[in-house]
Amino acid sequence: MASADLAPRLAAYAASRMPGARDVEVRDLSRISGGASRQTFRFRLTWTEAGAPRERRMILRRDPPASLIDTERRVEFEAYRAFFGSRVPVPEMIWLEEGTEALDLPFSVAEEIIGFEAAPALLWTEPYLASHESLARNKWTILGEIARADPFALGLDRVMPPPDPVGCWARELDMWEQVLDEDQAEPLPITRAAIRWLRAHPPAPAQKIGVVHGDFRTGNFLYDRQGGIHGVLDWEMAHLGDPLEDLGWSLNPVWNFKRNLAGGLVPDAVAIAHWEAASGLKADPAAVHWWTLFNCVKGQAIWISSARAWIDGGNREPIMVLPAWGMQNPQDRAILKVMDRL
Amino acid sequence: MKPDIPAVLAELAGLVARNAVPDVDPAERAGALSLSAALLGMAAEAWDGAAQRLVEENKALRALLSDAGDRAGRNAWLSQGIDDDLRVSVLAAANARLRSALIELHAAVEGDDAPDARALETRIWEELRLSTERRQMSAALA
Repeated sequence: MASADLAPRLAAYAASRMPGARDVEVRDLSRISGGASRQTFRFRLTWTEAGAPRERRMILRRDPPASLIDTERRVEFEAYRAFFGSRVPVPEMIWLEEGTEALDLPFSVAEEIIGFEAAPALLWTEPYLASHESLARNKWTILGEIARADPFALGLDRVMPPPDPVGCWARELDMWEQVLDEDQAEPLPITRAAIRWLRAHPPAPAQKIGVVHGDFRTGNFLYDRQGGIHGVLDWEMAHLGDPLEDLGWSLNPVWNFKRNLAGGLVPDAVAIAHWEAASGLKADPAAVHWWTLFNCVKGQAIWISSARAWIDGGNREPIMVLPAWGMQNPQDRAILKVMDRL
Repeated sequence: MKPDIPAVLAELAGLVARNAVPDVDPAERAGALSLSAALLGMAAEAWDGAAQRLVEENKALRALLSDAGDRAGRNAWLSQGIDDDLRVSVLAAANARLRSALIELHAAVEGDDAPDARALETRIWEELRLSTERRQMSAALA
């Protein structure tokens, strides 16, 4: 569907969800580059209500025919809703449409949080250089807040199956190994060696079953010049599990951005200390190591599945090739580093 | 590199042509062309060294399998191969067979305390480290 067709259909959908609104229009609809898992657009919704003109800036995220990560949009939507208004900043979710009648594909609409940055590259330019310690404190404190949250009190167990604390590592490893088995286009000796090691050295049982964001890293939150964080995004891989899983993803060396620092910001020990303080949990070094290596395997599975989606023709967008070409080798090196083989 | 470079270049050619049409949304055009430029840069870097990297790696893997002797099991025959067809697609297919054999050999020796198994595993890890160096690109994202 071209943008010209999309705007009036989206306006018609919005009007159907806003009984008190008149003259509903979608303006300035434009696609945001990136968004390998969803087609993402920003727009202004304008309408008249009780005789007064209204306007709100919004984000439309629509499922592509085949995406980098196959995820349940309701899980993502409910994760956002669960944390809205909490100490974990997230945009307000407005509509979730799981049918295909309105826009041909399922989609969600959220408020747009404006005035902040998400691109990692900016962090190593002025005026952001002085903000790294503050940003790191906020980043791993928010991650600790996610770990501290009670998913059952939030009702998230209704859409995210809770695993057994003893076996949650195996559930995750089985799932991502299956992705590799199904999607690999060439043998992966380094990743396979890592999987064998992970199975031979399982981590201690989870201290609790918590919410796992699944992709919490530099690049997936909105930040300001002082190191403040104003929106945690990309909850499409959210699930319940060992909170150390998220910590391990944030410490995956591919997110160091070629700096030997967690997230390219601070030493790993500093990041872990912030996370422990906020979560109230312990980061056992052996378990953190296991989850960091696991997340290197998970990362490789994601890059591999991106290549597979392109090869099979389900999604021929160039964004699908970029991680396949640009991340597989760094992820292999990250595995070697975590396994002390580099 | 997967997807294969020729297939990606063909797709990018079509993408660039579609974006040459005047009525394409400017934001979509900018996104498509900037990503295309990044991929073209990676393809350019990989192109010149692709055959050399594969020949070098295949040679190292065959030597490993040959030295593994009986431990290479059903894959021992792969050590006798020769890269006499230098098309990248043919070299890559041989490389995939050899790396599959390496995975089996690695799994077989890593739980074995025999001195020759320990020595082989050390060599396998060294080859895996070298393989990441061969495949490294300046345009890598991380």
